[in-house]
Amino acid sequence: MDPRFAKTRELLYQLRVADIIRREPIVTHPDQMMSELRAILRDRRISGTPVVEDGRVVGIISIEDLIGWLSSGGQDCPIREKMTRDPEVLYADQLLVQTIQHFDASGFGRFPVIDRRDGSLIGIMTKGAIIEGLLGKLEHALREEEIRQYRASHIFEDLTAEYKEIYLTYEVKGKDFDLAGKASTQMKRNLKRLGIHPDIAHRLAIASYEAEMNVVIYADRGVMEYRITPQEVSLRIRDQGPGIADIEKAMRPGYSTAADWVRELGFGAGMGLQNIKKCADRMDLRSTPGVGTTLKIRIFTRKANETE
Amino acid sequence: MTLSALAEALSAKALHGSEEELQQEVVTVAASDLMSDILARLGTPDVMLTGLATLQVVRTSAVAGIKAAVIVRGKPVEERLVELAREEDIVLMSTDLSLFEASGRLYAAGMRSAAVRT
Repeated sequence: MDPRFAKTRELLYQLRVADIIRREPIVTHPDQMMSELRAILRDRRISGTPVVEDGRVVGIISIEDLIGWLSSGGQDCPIREKMTRDPEVLYADQLLVQTIQHFDASGFGRFPVIDRRDGSLIGIMTKGAIIEGLLGKLEHALREEEIRQYRASHIFEDLTAEYKEIYLTYEVKGKDFDLAGKASTQMKRNLKRLGIHPDIAHRLAIASYEAEMNVVIYADRGVMEYRITPQEVSLRIRDQGPGIADIEKAMRPGYSTAADWVRELGFGAGMGLQNIKKCADRMDLRSTPGVGTTLKIRIFTRKANETE
Repeated sequence: MTLSALAEALSAKALHGSEEELQQEVVTVAASDLMSDILARLGTPDVMLTGLATLQVVRTSAVAGIKAAVIVRGKPVEERLVELAREEDIVLMSTDLSLFEASGRLYAAGMRSAAVRT
């Protein structure tokens, strides 16, 4: 499906009546005369009003009723006599998608919108309000992300310098499983906004996530530094932790020193470093037992560099 | 199949996912309690079946680009997991079926594995 239509349908399920209705609508009283109504509709350029008495909606009167009245002679009388009594109403908290079904099923052109708790009139819903509301929200929703992506993805083109690079840094807390992976998920979004090719962003995100998990599992704290240039994305992740005594052994698939609680969380099966290696174009792992570990990974964004 | 058809096949309950999102077509599945195992797939699976019910299920899905995560064996799902799924736009479901039974039903319905990265 065209993503724009998908977004429209999503909005129908997200938006509520209160989000888009025309508030403080023009109302009439049942004792006002039909001749007054004619002037109101003409002067305010509207096609109907809710009829309100003692703060409650008692009816609805439309231009169709006015035409009917005019064609049957136009003898002046109170609105009360010509209005549709006890009209169907919508509640402010209903989903937009439900109201569209109301328009379809009833054939009416407008519905008073009332507060479910006290029955007071809040606004009026017309097909025009739906269209305006949807277009407004759609434009807003699409624009926000588009603008962000546009701005970010043109940074390298818009700025001129001999060398261009962006650094983004995150701190990682050891043993904090609630936050584990947050930096990597945020970074994936950043890369998308920067216009990095999805495959490159995907590989960096996976490598970064595994590396972040390693810091959370084994170390007390760590720092993740991402560097983005027009040629490559890279990550340097340094931690203060126990270090790795035998890197060769640690790289072996299936080898792990993780405690049982780590395995229960779905990690620590000796696959992390392997996954990182498979995703990276270059990987450099250095460690000093008792001090910490530094992992560097690079992924090249330009084909020519891959064969260097 | 669509995610809503998948939910039906697994008698699963959607914990997060708009009607729109449930209409997405899905083809590939990865089933594991090990997140690294799922991250090792070359092609991103559309759906993850897992016995794990931690925040990492949603984070792994977001990082790997997985559309929906199904938690098997009726494991209790904390509200903050549903909350995170909402933030990250991941469809989240829960089924009482075992990992084996859930995988079998999806295989029988034509779903296939995502290739492993070598």
